[in-house]
Amino acid sequence: MIERRYEQEEVDFVIVGAGAAGGVLAKELAEAGMSVVVLEAGPWRDPQHDFASDELSMKSLGWQETRLVSGSDPLTMGHNNSGYGVGGGTTHFTGVFLRFHASDFMTRTVDGVGEDWPIRYEDLEPFYDRSEREIAVSGPKHFPWGEFHGPYPYPEREPLSPNAYLFKIGCEKLAIRTVTSPLAILSAPFEGRPPCINRGFCNQGCMPNSKFSTLIVHVPKAVRAGAEVLADCMVTQVLMGADGRARGVAFRHEGREYEQRAKIVILSAFVVENPRLLLNSANAQFPDGLANSSGWVGRGIMVHSSHDVYGKFDEEVRLYKGTPVLASTQELYATDPKRGFARGYTLHAHGSRPLAIAQGITRSQPLDLKPNVPQAGVGSGSPPVWGERLRHMMLDYNHYSRVTLVGETLPGADNRVTLADEKDENGLPRAKVNYSYCDNDMKLIKHAVQTMSSIIKAAGGTPEFVVPDTAHLMGGCRMGTDPSSSVTDSFGRTHDIPNLYICDASLFVTSSGCNPTNTVMALAYRTAAHLIDKAKKLELQALQSRA
Amino acid sequence: MKNSKYPTYDVMEQQEHWDEHTRSIVSSRLVREHGYRFLTTVEAETLRAWCPLLVDDTRADIIQYVLCHIDETLEKNKGESQRKPGVPPERELLRSGLKAMEQAALSAHGRNFFHLDEETRRKLLTELSQADAEPSSVWNGVPQKELFGKVLALTVESYYSHPTVWSEIGYGGPAYPRGYVRTNIGQLDPWEAKAEP
Ligand SMILES: Cc1cc2nc3c(=O)[nH]c(=O)nc-3n(C[C@H](O)[C@H](O)[C@H](O)COP(=O)(O)OP(=O)(O)OC[C@H]3O[C@@H](n4cnc5c(N)ncnc54)[C@H](O)[C@@H]3O)c2cc1C
Ligand code: SF4
Repeated sequence: MIERRYEQEEVDFVIVGAGAAGGVLAKELAEAGMSVVVLEAGPWRDPQHDFASDELSMKSLGWQETRLVSGSDPLTMGHNNSGYGVGGGTTHFTGVFLRFHASDFMTRTVDGVGEDWPIRYEDLEPFYDRSEREIAVSGPKHFPWGEFHGPYPYPEREPLSPNAYLFKIGCEKLAIRTVTSPLAILSAPFEGRPPCINRGFCNQGCMPNSKFSTLIVHVPKAVRAGAEVLADCMVTQVLMGADGRARGVAFRHEGREYEQRAKIVILSAFVVENPRLLLNSANAQFPDGLANSSGWVGRGIMVHSSHDVYGKFDEEVRLYKGTPVLASTQELYATDPKRGFARGYTLHAHGSRPLAIAQGITRSQPLDLKPNVPQAGVGSGSPPVWGERLRHMMLDYNHYSRVTLVGETLPGADNRVTLADEKDENGLPRAKVNYSYCDNDMKLIKHAVQTMSSIIKAAGGTPEFVVPDTAHLMGGCRMGTDPSSSVTDSFGRTHDIPNLYICDASLFVTSSGCNPTNTVMALAYRTAAHLIDKAKKLELQALQSRA
Repeated sequence: MKNSKYPTYDVMEQQEHWDEHTRSIVSSRLVREHGYRFLTTVEAETLRAWCPLLVDDTRADIIQYVLCHIDETLEKNKGESQRKPGVPPERELLRSGLKAMEQAALSAHGRNFFHLDEETRRKLLTELSQADAEPSSVWNGVPQKELFGKVLALTVESYYSHPTVWSEIGYGGPAYPRGYVRTNIGQLDPWEAKAEP
């Protein structure tokens, strides 16, 4: 049984998913005095008792339920990109906290690729400020790229890790500027949380609470302000009224079905589950799924190409030491016509632990730096590495360094989430995720792998192999001004259903070449401000009509 | 034969500095538990002849942990994160795949897979990894690369979670509540593995 405060009531907001966006929305709306219920499919964990310094057991922080993956570059899901439980992806994200550049909102205008967003950098700027201030992001005094040049709320991290120092040495030799990465990780105490102790397990959940997550920051504040957050509650359907408006949602808890009514339904269930929910909620009035008159629900999903290049050094590097990402460059972020592809990328020095590197090695590809040979994508390439070769490489674990790519990929209509014929244990159709890189993506990857290899070489190492990988998911319910080619307006309000909102990474129109979560949260702050503003106006109207 | 650079380092000596939850998770990997809840005895023996080749290590206790991990994963059936369309769910894939390997061994060599010598087993696995395993009557309906990849992934994730293997590669292991202080290039905190000449 589940205890509920609003079982018989219609609340102002029901939010599906307590991740990056859901956490921010819950806090903002509850603090503004609205009644809020948050339904989260996964558990509510206690960092000090439920997290562990262990890769294998902490795979459970990811969404493990099976998704079907197809396309020429089928995605690795689970811990690789999807959160599960209060905090969502922020419990196991790496904490890199970057802003989009102005050009990221207008790639069609600037470079003739992708699509323009219905907002510009200036629209999000105040919300980036808030999102960074409220969690005391640490970062450099001066950030040389994009529109925001610092300073960050908290000083940059110090000391760095051996791998980050090597990256900085390599970049300096090549005249590539680097910074100590802006991180949602504390460099000094803040709101009762201690600074980072450099243990390096950010992807397994931060036990001392030095790394921000909505589990430890936004959700507790939301609860203090009166929000009801219910864990282990999987939403299975958006309930519709005959008037074409959403009534609320149906959800499942320990095998039983429940309903929650709400004036406004907000889906913050991420890139795969939002489309799955919308498509699954199809009815006679919305036969192709809710909010899908454009046909864009589930389409235009994007990843970041995230190839890792590993190099070997004579001296020890010890990739397990320190926060995984501590040094970065965006020197290759902007489009450069000389490179023969549009858009660009961020590079990070990135730590790695035994399980991740061993699994990477099994999927690794030899480096082929000849200009005209495409670097293998995820689904292609040479046979797996195993046996003696794997063991020998792993005996050199402490001598490897690693550089990781966060590369922009262009949106494609066929990169999409649909419903599979196969059903899960609850009888819901599984999500099917189709993904293939396009030609521009492959050229960008090739260029980045060359750059990463030269950085390792310049630092005194030998680039040895590359692991084709992807990171982050975005899109699938993109925002836009044209209802025939987008799902929501710039605030996440669906074009088709006036009281159904979507707010999280699935709103992204293009991927940018940097880590997405600061933008996810800034969008959530913006949507919350819009909803609060609207509610106040309605209240005012109601007052006036009564007067 | 390439050996550990840290032959006397034992990460378990640091366990008093780990939090309780992590300590119980890691030390449970040292316990040799034999009851299988999903695998049959024949399946387990087939895997015992299979997994050591994937990680180039025949130590019985570590391989036993790997088998227990595979058994537990299949028993719990929590979800595979992802699977390609047309590939059977992992329980079915493993069950039919192990059976096919048995039959392939019997038809080509007249013996169980686990009775074949190492070279022959390695050859069969190499063929499987490239989807070249024969005869097609036996492998019909079993996606070979996926089968190979699934056993490899389950083996590697458990093998490289075993504290003995952590010690050998010089991995510092769990780090909470104690983190790292000396993190410059070449610096070591006192409890880290030191390379021995
Ligand atoms: C390993 C890893 C490292 C990362 N590192 C970085 C980084 O360094 N920097 C960065 O910017 N980003 C990083 N990210 C990405 C970041 O985690 C995501 O961008 C972010 O979490 C997306 O936020 P969201 O609100 O869109 O979704 P999420 O945070 O994923 O939240 C969605 C929530 O919805 C829940 N849910 C889904 N379906 C339902 C349903 N039907 N009913 C109820 N609840 C449901 C899920 O359980 C989940 O908790 C990383 C991600 C991973 C996986
Ligand atoms: S490295 Fe720092 S932020 Fe990351 S998990 Fe450890 S203490 Fe937390």
